[in-house]
Amino acid sequence: MAEKLTPFHITILVYMTQSGIIIFTLPRQLAEYFGTNGWLFMVPCFVISSLNIYLISLVYHMGKGRSIFLILEQSISKVVLYPLYIGLSSVWLIFGCMIGKKYVLLFQMISFPTTNPMIFKLAIDLLALLLLTKGIYTISKATTVFFWVTIWMYLLLLGFIPNFQWVRLTPFIFKEGHDMVRGGLDIYTAFLGYELSLLYLPYMDHKKKSMRGVYAGNTILSVAYISFAFICFGFFSLGQLKKLLYPLLDLLAFIQLPFVERLENLLYGFFLFLILVTVVMYWWAAAESVQRILPRANISILCSILVGISFVVSYIPTTLDQVNTWIMYLSYAATGIAFGLPLLLVVLLLVQRKRRNSYA
Amino acid sequence: MRKLSAVIVLMFLLSGCKSDERILERLGMVQTSSYDLSEDQRLKVTSSIPVVNPESVSRRELLVVEADSIKEARLQFSRKTELFLVSGQLRNVLFGLNLTKAGLGNYLDTLMRDPSVALGVRVSIVDGDAGALLSKDYKQHADTGQYVDHLLEKEGGRNSIPQITLYEFSRDYNDDGIDPIAPIIKETEDHVVIEGIACFEQDRYRMKIPAADGMIFALLRGSLNQGEVALNLGEDGGRKRIVMFSSLGSQHKLKVIRSENSRFKVKISASIQGSVLEYTGSLRLQNKADRQELEKEISAKLSSEGNQMIRNLQQHHVDSLGIGQYVRNSLSYREWKSTDWNKVYPSVEIEFHPKVIIKDYGKYN
Repeated sequence: MAEKLTPFHITILVYMTQSGIIIFTLPRQLAEYFGTNGWLFMVPCFVISSLNIYLISLVYHMGKGRSIFLILEQSISKVVLYPLYIGLSSVWLIFGCMIGKKYVLLFQMISFPTTNPMIFKLAIDLLALLLLTKGIYTISKATTVFFWVTIWMYLLLLGFIPNFQWVRLTPFIFKEGHDMVRGGLDIYTAFLGYELSLLYLPYMDHKKKSMRGVYAGNTILSVAYISFAFICFGFFSLGQLKKLLYPLLDLLAFIQLPFVERLENLLYGFFLFLILVTVVMYWWAAAESVQRILPRANISILCSILVGISFVVSYIPTTLDQVNTWIMYLSYAATGIAFGLPLLLVVLLLVQRKRRNSYA
Repeated sequence: MRKLSAVIVLMFLLSGCKSDERILERLGMVQTSSYDLSEDQRLKVTSSIPVVNPESVSRRELLVVEADSIKEARLQFSRKTELFLVSGQLRNVLFGLNLTKAGLGNYLDTLMRDPSVALGVRVSIVDGDAGALLSKDYKQHADTGQYVDHLLEKEGGRNSIPQITLYEFSRDYNDDGIDPIAPIIKETEDHVVIEGIACFEQDRYRMKIPAADGMIFALLRGSLNQGEVALNLGEDGGRKRIVMFSSLGSQHKLKVIRSENSRFKVKISASIQGSVLEYTGSLRLQNKADRQELEKEISAKLSSEGNQMIRNLQQHHVDSLGIGQYVRNSLSYREWKSTDWNKVYPSVEIEFHPKVIIKDYGKYN
């Protein structure tokens, strides 16, 4: 019997794919766009992402766990589908690549200011490639290990409670913000990653309640993000939070243990695991789509080519600002895919069901 | 073949960090920096770097330059020393009084921007010339920077002065309902002494609270779990009545009341518990009624000193207690925005109501 992803592994995979680079800037973005008590905005984000997962679960149940490619190919001609596949894989490939590049640029800023960032990028890409060629089951197992290596860091939040003051939260909701629509879109991208569960469908164990794993992953992420943002709003003052470009780095640098301080360089390394999984999963999704066009291609060669392309593309933006702009547009596209693709699939499945009924 | 390619890849990757190589012996890790305004309105920067070389007689290297900005000073330092200067181990920044009167905003900005400077760097004010204090060698202490650091850490832990780091200073500076504070120290002949607490209006120094009143300030500002205070309760038959109230813990509450003519009234209450370790008056502590009498006297004394301090802060337009935060939170957003807090603050009626309970009175009757 072929190996299947268990709900537990799906939970962790979804959570780890979702938690990414945005955590470095999230509290500041919430303060900047939404102002006072901006952390509350994470609650509607959680609800919307859960609704989106509900759409995905409809695809899973109506399609009886079939791969989304099979569903698409049953109703739409390949002439139309291939450009769509190329579009999907381009967005996912470059999105993953830019997330990696941003991590590298941040790492460079705090630790190696004059080293060529592309050397670090190459090291991360090689690591990602090694994982990518092993397939989804190995990725999910490695991810489980990475999960335990990183999840304890949320306990560090407890250390900030002595400096937390309710009075700094203020009773005002969403005052002193600006551009809330754009900000909302930007912040929502923090939740992206669950949409890739569309591609897990054929790998899920149909005897178990696998979709619950996706919900659970999204819930763990939401709880983690909400508690992190909440602590930040009571620890920093609003004006201060707006000025800190990377509040997470400041928090990490603030930690002092009796025997050691300035731990952030060490702790920053742990975030590599979170970023690595996000990058690998987006690349895996890209590879899955391309494989549909070239079913006979050797998977290792295909992955190497894709990673090679993304490495070359990552040369184009050189500053953090440029990378941020790329990530912004790509994340809009990825958000569009997250909602559009399952909607399209549900419509197709309805048409297919109707057709089947009329034949019967 | 696989192993060989792995080795080649590793060699290629590891060589990449050559330009950011740091060799400990060649690093000058700045531990304390001080900033003053020189006579020609330039910035005088003094940095103290611990020397790790066991053959060296001196335990630290001092660098002094005049420049137009903090980072320019660093470039000038670099020309003076064979060490590669880094600020990752910076523990303490001292600002001279002249500079604090002109405003610290820009310097704060530079320190906060540098990724190698952590939020936990201690901020202190020097009554006088900060560079002179840092440059001076104090007989009993090998390294002045470290001496000051330990002094502030110890006193801050006992709440007699606040523990202020870049985090607290920039937090309060960027909040619209509170003004920042910092400990203020002074150089004496053979010691560095804690003078008190410097109170700022925005980023400018305005007034000082003497160190002896530090505890009362702490009681006004928030809840405490340790501290001690000595109070002079007046004279009794020509003898001074001193009470030393120790191991005290305090629960702080602040209530904002709005009167009809939309003026604000603020009540700060503190429920204080502690032990009496010294008392030179005529009341007998083992006697319950006398003890209650003493509790009342201590409360009254704390109240009058606290209220006087509040008036003083209001006169100087410094909201170091963060009254504005509570007033803000008692209003609607529109009301708060239409309130010019800096103008309103001096006329707000603020009362301090301490309630003292003597937990125990030592082991002697």
